[in-house]
Amino acid sequence: MIEQLGNGLLLGLIVAIASVSLSLLYGVTRIVNFAHGEIIALGAVLTLFFSSSPESSFLYLDRFSPLGSSFIVSSIASILLCGLFGALLELCLFRPLRKNNYGNVAVLVITIGLSIFLRHIFLLFASAKPASYALDLQKREDYFGIQLTPRNVQVLIIGSVVMILVGLFLTYTKTGRAMRAVRDSSELASVSGINSDYIITLTWIFSSMLAGFTGIIQGVINNVRWNMGFLILLLIFAGSILGGIGTSFGAMFGGFIIGMLVQLSVGLSFMDGHTEAKNAIALALMILILLIRPQGIFGSKERIS
Amino acid sequence: MKDYKRYIIAVSLLTVSFLYIFTSNETGVARIFVNLLTFAGIYGLAAIGINVHFGWTGLLNFGHAAFMGIGAYTTILLIPHALGREGVVIETGLPLPLAVIIGMLAAALLGLILGLPTLRLRGDYLAIVTIAAAEIFRLLIRDFEDITGGVYGVIQFSEALQSLRPNFITNLATSIEVSSSQLWVGVITWILIIFTLLFLNRLQKSPWGRALRAVREDEDAVRALGKNAVWLKLQSFMLGASIGGLSGILLAFNYGTLQVSTFVPVLTFYLWAALILGGVGSLAGPALGAVIFWVIISGTDSLAEIFFENANGQQLAGVRFVFVGLLIMFTMIFTPSGILGKKEELLLDIK
Repeated sequence: MIEQLGNGLLLGLIVAIASVSLSLLYGVTRIVNFAHGEIIALGAVLTLFFSSSPESSFLYLDRFSPLGSSFIVSSIASILLCGLFGALLELCLFRPLRKNNYGNVAVLVITIGLSIFLRHIFLLFASAKPASYALDLQKREDYFGIQLTPRNVQVLIIGSVVMILVGLFLTYTKTGRAMRAVRDSSELASVSGINSDYIITLTWIFSSMLAGFTGIIQGVINNVRWNMGFLILLLIFAGSILGGIGTSFGAMFGGFIIGMLVQLSVGLSFMDGHTEAKNAIALALMILILLIRPQGIFGSKERIS
Repeated sequence: MKDYKRYIIAVSLLTVSFLYIFTSNETGVARIFVNLLTFAGIYGLAAIGINVHFGWTGLLNFGHAAFMGIGAYTTILLIPHALGREGVVIETGLPLPLAVIIGMLAAALLGLILGLPTLRLRGDYLAIVTIAAAEIFRLLIRDFEDITGGVYGVIQFSEALQSLRPNFITNLATSIEVSSSQLWVGVITWILIIFTLLFLNRLQKSPWGRALRAVREDEDAVRALGKNAVWLKLQSFMLGASIGGLSGILLAFNYGTLQVSTFVPVLTFYLWAALILGGVGSLAGPALGAVIFWVIISGTDSLAEIFFENANGQQLAGVRFVFVGLLIMFTMIFTPSGILGKKEELLLDIK
């Protein structure tokens, strides 16, 4: 089990950051965004496109060729583009829907359509083969008994810093507090002079940038696949529900637990030869949580029924 | 929109669809037709199951593939079949009708298990749980190869259904040059659709059906009248799930092999597209939607040729699903009641 601890920490971090972004978006907009996984994949695919050398041939559409810029520049550009994409989604799709009083279920079904659409655009663009970033291969080393590559350690540190910054942003900045205010009650927030349309747009940008970041580190640790967003989306839902959907710190915690659990379960004895089923454990845990404590560990009761 | 206008639109859409198929294929039109109507019928039946959930009761089920899969696997594994990598032949088994009933019950049981923790909660939790259940189901089937055949699947089970095929079907198939086994599956499918719709029509007008609609409209009012709303929702969930199970069994017989890759989560989204297109809440809407949906889907393949020279299977599927996604979005945005649905019957707010 201990040999999986490093992988567990990494996946835990990824699911935690993604859960915060999903949960924040849900809290502020009340949208259960099934397309969130695709924004994660967008970050990864864009970075792959920007950073791969022009000769590499992973693209289906061969009229495009990768740009071959440096990895850091590519990542930053991708995160910014994810933010822009989030803003466009809000301005061109979700705000008109909100103004026309589309119900929650209609919007949920629309996000599912959006997710199928985007996911298969990635398939057509970046092919079905898993691809890796043009980074040199590294050996695993021993850090306090945990086996990780130096790059994975960097990812862990950067990810943790991002997570702390997100926490500080939500707790101490004016915008972060406004987001939480809209989340808790949009009427009260607008009475206190908060422009909720503005805050919702900011939330879309912020949450999409976080999602894009998650996709990039997921791509660094494993690889980039057209359907990576859908695969991780279910873990994110499990994490958000475990921590309490609509909470930020709960989602962070729940996401971390789910990610750890998925990796650690590979080491369990009854899982021998059943590695495919590791995600099933997390999802089964989610169903169990809904049965015994549907509001999650940190959630409040009024959010759920 | 008046009722007759909807039917005029429906009939003209069907006519245009069929004309399109006739004009775009020079050879083997009968074969294409039987293939299309069989698949459309099976998907239509599955979508009728989702309609019982969503259209009647307002339940968001995005894991219908799991219900279809569990119905198919239960039934097929109970009748004579061959299994897995080595093709272990199992010659003994239950008679087909009994196995089908057990398969449908298994799907209903899965509905009960998934419904119990979630139907008390707000609607979107059910969406998440059903989508997760479909994924769990797929992973477990893949993983437990000694029981389910894993990725190698199950084969040699078609005889149980095909041995019941009457002679006139075989003769008809030979004279119009189509596969007799597929024609037989198609005929059974559409007969089952008609029976299911007649049954659901009766049910909809019964006190139970009215109580169900009341749950959709105002759950608190139902509770105040002393009805158990959660139990009503559970019953509807189990009913829709067992219809899904039945369609899964037909799907397996139509393919002639049982593969876990048939019951992937995206199957559910096909069904949703067909349902929304046909009209949520209307009885015949899902079946109509499935037919038109299949015509559209078969049209996207020629579109893929514009973007790719000699498109491979993955690219064809990609273009297809890009369209499925767009279709779901645009229908939901611009005509959420679909072709046959009524706007006032459509519940789009989570209770």
